Amino acid sequence: MDALLSEKNRAVRRSIKSFCEKEILPVAKDLDQEARFPWDIAEKMGKLGYFGIQVPKELGGAGLDTLSYVIIIEEISKACGGLGLCVTVHNSVSVYPILAFGNEVQKNKWIPPLARGERIGAFCLTEPNAGSDASGIEATAIKDGDFYILNANKVFVTNGGIADTCLIFARTNPEAGRKGISVIVAERGTPGFIVGDLEDLSGMRANPVSSIRLSDCRVPITNLLGKEGMGLTIGLTALDTGRIGIAAQALGISVAAFEEAVKYAKERRQFNVPIAKHQAIQMMIADMATEIEASRLLIYQAARLRDAGKPFSKEAAIAKLFASETSSKVCDMAIQIHGGYGYSKSYAVERYYRDARVTRIYEGTAEIHRMVIARSVLEG
Amino acid sequence: MHIIVCIKSVIIKPEYSGSVRSSEFSELNPFDRQALEMAFLLKESLEKGTVTVISMGPKEISFAIYEAMAMGADRGVLVCDPSISGSDTLATSTILASAIKKLSPFDLVLFGTRTFDSDTGHVGPQTATLLDIPLITYAQKIKLSGGFANVERTMDGIKESFEVELPGAFTIHHMANIPRDIGLLGIKESFDEKLITVWNLNDLNLSQDSVGKRGSPTIVLSVKKVTKDRKCEFINGKPEEQVQKLIDKLIEKGLLV
Repeated sequence: MDALLSEKNRAVRRSIKSFCEKEILPVAKDLDQEARFPWDIAEKMGKLGYFGIQVPKELGGAGLDTLSYVIIIEEISKACGGLGLCVTVHNSVSVYPILAFGNEVQKNKWIPPLARGERIGAFCLTEPNAGSDASGIEATAIKDGDFYILNANKVFVTNGGIADTCLIFARTNPEAGRKGISVIVAERGTPGFIVGDLEDLSGMRANPVSSIRLSDCRVPITNLLGKEGMGLTIGLTALDTGRIGIAAQALGISVAAFEEAVKYAKERRQFNVPIAKHQAIQMMIADMATEIEASRLLIYQAARLRDAGKPFSKEAAIAKLFASETSSKVCDMAIQIHGGYGYSKSYAVERYYRDARVTRIYEGTAEIHRMVIARSVLEG
Repeated sequence: MHIIVCIKSVIIKPEYSGSVRSSEFSELNPFDRQALEMAFLLKESLEKGTVTVISMGPKEISFAIYEAMAMGADRGVLVCDPSISGSDTLATSTILASAIKKLSPFDLVLFGTRTFDSDTGHVGPQTATLLDIPLITYAQKIKLSGGFANVERTMDGIKESFEVELPGAFTIHHMANIPRDIGLLGIKESFDEKLITVWNLNDLNLSQDSVGKRGSPTIVLSVKKVTKDRKCEFINGKPEEQVQKLIDKLIEKGLLV
């Protein structure tokens, strides 16, 4: 699988793989069952650079390429979906927009502690009445002297329960429609910044997904990212990169389910032979292997395009759509191969199944992705 | 303080041996990681110094040197020459000793105790002999002070302490420390900023007769994979009878006396 990767990319894979096997895998099941975020592991990952994968060295990051980033997300998600989610959302839709749209003062202030994992980032777009239609957000940021007064009700915030540096999408000009949305950074601890209860989710349970409410929360106008009205541009740019990460996450979960299924098929005996000898099982294994390989190629292609500075928006959307749908199928087949045991919490495949499902929903549903892809085909 | 660590890329997929030595089929010898960690700990305790890693083999094994540099080594040396192929442990030690001399001055030369693939444990001791420097094998603790190393090791339940005048050679016990995780910035710096110096036989003033198959007194006649057939036997009867039958069988096979 890594035959065409550079030795540098392979070194990245070896490092994260060995870290996951040592630190994450032994507790992955407990993290899911207890819906617990592993601070101890996150702290170690911060010191090793996983919270600033593509941040330049001068700002405290590791300065690696997008291909390294997807390899890392793939490997973490293979061990624990919720932790993979934390790392991808932090890197791609929290840190990256600050890097891309922040001014020097903002970058120097926010990026180094984020890159070291001392502070965790979050991307706060979704609201009870605004999901796929991001332009429907109701949050407001009203200027008052040198401050914005933020009022927002953000839901399903990945990392919400632990996030310190949050990108809030809010209307700075309620009359301007789509062009009246801006991104303002709000920090935990500011009066009026309220973290809601954690969501009790089906999967990705190691991630403290929560609501975040801002109630007359005053933040300095210097916390505006880019310019007023740039909100949706910033959001969509971040999501292009984010999608490659979610695709890599789906891939990691697929690989985990696939490996478990192959192992089980070789061990489990029925009709006096390992079930892997039965053609019905072999067909599933072949389909899983084929779709996983195709997912990986799409994801690596999108990452390579981004690294080459070429347009990658359509490719990222295709990779995310394909890898997330593949993940659901692969996990489903992995459970089928496990039979009744696959439906039991004694085996990991049921966790993968729950974790995989949401990759078709967040950071753009499969339906929105089809719209994006079709639009870029028809208009491109 | 100049610390040299000799490392090897070991084959993890034997069916490909001899043809492919890249990281798909090989890895940094796990027993070398403790030697590297020891070098970094010593450098950090002194707050100064240089750690150089040396390896020999085709260019494909550079990944192992990059990995050592990602862990913290300052620079790497690869001895690469078509004529060194097939070197036994004596020829390997001859090459390493020449390369180490060329890197003079040095204070410590560290090795893993053995390699994961060929598992001889010869190279550390032989290289130290060729360099004519003192050697402590299976070192677990090293403390440096004023041109001397205080070394501890525990063998067969006996703790031994030595004082060695530097330069000296040490093979590091695999339980001496827990090697550090490799950070992402380390990987970036290793591949993008650090250098591997490549030397051939001419650079080391070695003749082709002293290396490779010509310089190797050991001749491996053949290497074959041995497979053992396992057989499962069920013993029936009451538990006491089963125990007696099992004991009888073990005595019969000479496994119990």
